[in-house]
Formats: sequence, C-alpha cells, structure tokens
Amino acid sequence: MSVDLLIDGLLGLGMIVLALQVVSERTVLRSIILFVVFGLVMALAWTRLQAPDLALAEAAIGAGVTGALMMMAWRRLLIINPEHSADTPRGRSAVAIPVALLSTALVATIGLSALNIEPHIDTAGRVALDEMTDTGLGNPVTGVLLLFRNLDTLLEMAVLLIALLGARAISAPARPEEAAVVETTTPLVGALLATLVPLSILIATHLLLAGTNEPGGAFQAGAVLAAGGVALVLTARLQPAKRPGLATQLAVTAGLLAFVGIGVGIMAFGETLLALPGTWAVYLIETAMMVSIGLTLALLFAGAPALVGRRA
Amino acid sequence: MTPTVFVLAASVVFGVGVWGLLIAEHLLRKLLALNVMGSSVFIIMLVVAGSGTAGPDPVAQALILTGIVIAVAATAFALALMVSIYRETGRASITEKDDDDR
Repeated sequence: MSVDLLIDGLLGLGMIVLALQVVSERTVLRSIILFVVFGLVMALAWTRLQAPDLALAEAAIGAGVTGALMMMAWRRLLIINPEHSADTPRGRSAVAIPVALLSTALVATIGLSALNIEPHIDTAGRVALDEMTDTGLGNPVTGVLLLFRNLDTLLEMAVLLIALLGARAISAPARPEEAAVVETTTPLVGALLATLVPLSILIATHLLLAGTNEPGGAFQAGAVLAAGGVALVLTARLQPAKRPGLATQLAVTAGLLAFVGIGVGIMAFGETLLALPGTWAVYLIETAMMVSIGLTLALLFAGAPALVGRRA
Repeated sequence: MTPTVFVLAASVVFGVGVWGLLIAEHLLRKLLALNVMGSSVFIIMLVVAGSGTAGPDPVAQALILTGIVIAVAATAFALALMVSIYRETGRASITEKDDDDR
C-alpha cells in the first residue's frame, strides 16, 4: 500500500515540477521538450488511475503530436526571422501569483469535495457498462465513443476538419524545404524509414483492431499513423503540395463521410439517427476515422493542404 | 488514496498553468501553459466522475479522450495563428500596447 502511495506521490510531484519548468524555462525550445516529458508523466498518471485508453491517447496525442506541432511552429518562427530567435524575456504580472494560488485552492476544493460525494448508482457510465454486453464490444470506452455518445465523436471529427481548414485559411502553404529537417541524402535515413513507417502502420492497425475489446481505438491509431507521416515529412519523402487532390480530400473527410453516411443511411431502414447497425459499422467507421485523423494531423504538422511523394 | 494524491497534484498543476499563462510573453509558451492546464482538468474530471469495479467511468473517459483530440486540434489552429502574427508583426507576443494602437 505504501509503495502505491510512493509511486503516486512521485508521479504527482513529477507533474508539478515539470509543469513549473515548462512555464518558467528560459528558452521556449526547452519548454517544448519538457512539455513532451510532462505529457509522458501524465500518461503514467492515467495508467495509475486505471485508464489505459487515456494513457495511450496522452502519450500519442498529448505528448507526441502536440509536441511535434509545437516544435514545427517554433521552427517556422526561426525560418521567418533567423536573427531574432523570438526568445522574449519573461514578463511580470503583479496578479500572477495570487491568482495562481487562488485557482489552486479553488480547484483542490472542488476536487476534494467531489471525492466525498456519495457515488450515484445509476450514472451514465454504469448504464453504459450494463448495456455493453449487448453490443459485442469489449472496450466500454469505444462503446461510449462509437455507440452511446457517437454524436460527440462525429462532431469531434468535424472539429478536426475545421481546425485543418482554419489553419489552411490563415496561413500560406509551407515551402517544400520548410518542413524537412534531415539531409535527404544521409544513407541511414532510408533504412530508418523502412523500419519506422511500416511499424507505425502495424501499430496503428493493431490499436484500431484491439480497440474494440482492449485499450486502443481510432484516435490512438490515427495519432500513431500521423507519427509515421511526420517522419516522412521530416525526411522530405513526403513534401508539401499546393493543392489537395481528390484522394487527399476524400481521405481527410473519410471519417465524417463514413459516420454520416452510415448514421443517416440507417434511417432509411426505420432506425434512429446514428444508431449503428452492428460491429461491422463500428470497424468501418473507426478505420475511416483513423485515416482521416492520421492525415489531418500530418497535414497540420506539415502546414500544407496536401502532401506528395518526392520525385527521386 | 490514489485519487486524492492526483487531485492535489493536478490542482497545483492547474495553478502553475494559470501562473504561466499570466506571466508568459511568448505566445508559444502561453499555449504550453494552456495545454498544461487542460491536462490537469482532465485528471480531475476523471477522478471526480468516480469509478466502479471495472475501472473509471467509461463516459468520463470517452469525454476526456474527445477533449484531448479537440485540444490538439485547437492548439494546431492557435499555432497557425501565432505564426501568422509573427509574420505580420515580427513579434510572437501580444501586449497591451497592441490594444491601445487600435
């Protein structure tokens, strides 16, 4: 018991120290790196709280993709103005510390008092767990995401698409040399990619298929797929293109199209909106979502409306 | 015991995030602070939702998973905005002076 407490205490302490360093490091680049470490400690915290789905998502999306996006944005700032490294001195705000202390006290009060509330018997989560046996899915989180509260998930896909469209609308497409950081002629790059990219596809597929019964799912799988795309962009094997082709447009919207197509199509058979007809529909929609999420995140990273393979 | 420890740690992390958001000048650092705050809120959400025999509340987990993905989408859009601001003004910060000039 005391070992558990020690591990939890160390993780909590690690989160606090890393968060402090993220906001107070002198250089922004160090802050970004420490933020990635913070995300990984968060992933450990999720496993301690018995939420492995969230641990996977935090490691892949919270730490991985967010960190990669931050570093790419930092690089763009350096490309725009190499002289001025955009490291501004930290500002001062007289109210910062009092406000921080008050919000800490407020959040702790809310959290601790919520712990003492008598747990309800008939929460939505309990109902979802009871209904799970009829669905043929073993992972209750996937069940909630794809069956019980799938309107949330559908709109989440829409948010991802809107973020991509918004980012494209406000900034010019990246130049091909802007995204790549590795000398493309380095001999080991090919060998590395030959291992990394198939591995990312393999892991993504496993996470997707396992996600119906075990921890995993379309979001984690999409993020792992995006990691493979990021590696290809960094090594200039995939380069930013000016205009998206039909394939890109279809792939980015595949998740939404499959979701809406099945969810609305089912109404023709007298079902209610978004009442998915079975496990096959869950698999189909999750696959489409994985492709969309992976490509959308890779495009956001590359800062381009489309990616094309490099002509050798 | 585990939930209490993480609620306390996440509360402090939230405070650190608020502090970072207020003192940071660089917009990228403000975004990092916002993401840190988001993470602590997710932890507290999960703990507050309570847990049964089969682990934490699945509805809360699904909502947090949705939240993590929305957070990365919003961060990506905010980063694009920041790069645009930097391209226009040469600074990756917003000060009160910007408001006065308008």
